[in-house]
Amino acid sequence: MTEPLLKVQNLSRHFGSGATPVRAVDDVSFEIARGETLGLVGESGCGKTSLVRTLLKLGPATSGSAVLDGVEITKARGSELHELRRNMQVVFQDPYQSLNPRMRVDRLISEPWALHPGLVPKARWREETVKLLESVGLRAEHADRYPSEFSGGQRQRLGIARALTLNPTLLVCDEPVSALDVSVQAQVVNLLAKLRRERNLAMLFVAHDLAVVRHVSDRVMVMYLGKIIETGPKQSIFSAPAHPYTQALMSAVPTPDPRLRGHRKRIVLQGDLPSPANPPSGCRFRTRCWKATSICTEQEPALTARTAAPGLLTACHHADTEFARRL
Amino acid sequence: MALLEVENLQVSFDTASGRILALNGVSFSLERGEVLALLGESGSGKSVTAAAIMDLVPNPPGAIDRGSIRFHGAELLQLSRNERRDLCGNRIALIFQDALAALNPVYSVGWQIAEMYRIHGRNPEGGVEKAVIDLLKAIGIPDPERRARQYPHEFSGGMRQRIMIAMAVAVGPDVIIADEPTTALDVTIQAQVVDLLATIRKRSNAGMIFITHDLGVVAELADRVAVMYAGRIVETANVFELFEDARHPYSVGLLASQPRVDTDEDELVPIPGSAPNPVALPSGCAFRTRCPRAEGLCAEVIPPLETVGPGRQAACHFPVSPA
Repeated sequence: MTEPLLKVQNLSRHFGSGATPVRAVDDVSFEIARGETLGLVGESGCGKTSLVRTLLKLGPATSGSAVLDGVEITKARGSELHELRRNMQVVFQDPYQSLNPRMRVDRLISEPWALHPGLVPKARWREETVKLLESVGLRAEHADRYPSEFSGGQRQRLGIARALTLNPTLLVCDEPVSALDVSVQAQVVNLLAKLRRERNLAMLFVAHDLAVVRHVSDRVMVMYLGKIIETGPKQSIFSAPAHPYTQALMSAVPTPDPRLRGHRKRIVLQGDLPSPANPPSGCRFRTRCWKATSICTEQEPALTARTAAPGLLTACHHADTEFARRL
Repeated sequence: MALLEVENLQVSFDTASGRILALNGVSFSLERGEVLALLGESGSGKSVTAAAIMDLVPNPPGAIDRGSIRFHGAELLQLSRNERRDLCGNRIALIFQDALAALNPVYSVGWQIAEMYRIHGRNPEGGVEKAVIDLLKAIGIPDPERRARQYPHEFSGGMRQRIMIAMAVAVGPDVIIADEPTTALDVTIQAQVVDLLATIRKRSNAGMIFITHDLGVVAELADRVAVMYAGRIVETANVFELFEDARHPYSVGLLASQPRVDTDEDELVPIPGSAPNPVALPSGCAFRTRCPRAEGLCAEVIPPLETVGPGRQAACHFPVSPA
């Protein structure tokens, strides 16, 4: 088997010291292969953003390891970190705040080449900038404009172009389309799919819109309260999940088809998300789970293959092997 | 007589870059017991429509230039400020998008719900206090006696949204306007709020205007849909007709842009371009610059909202043929 591009092992990110730190990301392990898109879903406060920030080294890991193409992210410093940043780039959520309003597009795009000399000689910056703009569906003359002259969808295209300047192997997309209207969102989703095919990009795609995640991902990972509770191929996760939380999450997504109204079984979760500073013992989902028994209080379930579905790993003592989403 | 009738409503705002028409001749009606969804993207005029009905258009910079809003046949735009205020919150209620901003942080939740009864001079059977507790129970807040004494910050986002809904329905309004009530919420919480609104609608026989950009929520809740684009209604249809057989190219485009959670589609079909700048709308049909069916006529004549079938209308010179 070939080495994965990104290998994360027992990664944790805790905030605050003392007896009860907030365990935003707690002992998380996963892999991303070259050219693969991994979707990451979960509700507010589940640790998605903390995980992404730790992987991008925008914050320190508390423990564990994350290796990108042979380089340990959590320990990288100096020139090693500089090199690492070239290989992993990010597309942020808000295209209004992530582009410097005082920089013209040509400078925005070529700035990474100035920071990583030797990649693209200065004489070719203009030519390469135009190529990049065209590959994200913008035009050559856009190079001489400022971000304020673009619409939200165009700005997100700029954000993507900028993330691609250094030809990264891993693109982290943190809610890249949630600020966009539906008609424009589809343009950006299609653009990401095209770039991924052309460049064999691996992506970590974080979004709360489950339909978008299904559309772009190969595999999907579900987080709850700092833990990965289920992961697998997208068809399994969306159509036949075995974890009660994933089932509840999927059943809650409104389907844009009025004929299905009233025909779907909706699982309504009781209560609220517990505090990540003081998570429940054993399984963290047990306080809201309709299947919880005493073993769930005592033992934390590990991610294991519990159903016949290939590649589906579920962290639940009472994993459901029969569930298929009723449609 | 319709419960609420909006006719040819025009609302404009003065902005630094010029005067913009936020609503440009919007007409629709709402019947008792009906859920009408106003569906549209940012800047289409959905929320301004709600603001105009609730007398919340800030003046200046905004102004209602012309049109009519009739409630039980009575013209709202001719009422005095005080008469209008008596109706709003009482007979016509608004559920805001951002519950944290809409609730007062320094009064307990119970006090704020009770205020609805006090302001509108209602004396519910068994007293106001009991009515508040019953209402909290009805919206699924556990331990309502204790929770009524707590403050908004002590509740989760989903609970706050449900409390907003409780306040809006406390005195039994005839019209409930919900302005993107589920937009900021996680899916599981969103499902709770949609269920709550569906229950209220079954029980109360009020008319509901549901403002949203989310096609999924529309499919779950609405009876009829009015699709808005650049300050106009471009199509109205019952919810089944719209999803199966949309006539306006914009509605068709919107449906094709939406990925689905229950199937794997090959590629989404987006609408090219982006929403037009409201200061400089295209001549004729505002959608023509993004429309695959546009022809010369579309640049010259604004298409009126015309009947294209029983109970449905579209504003397009070249509507998509029936499926």
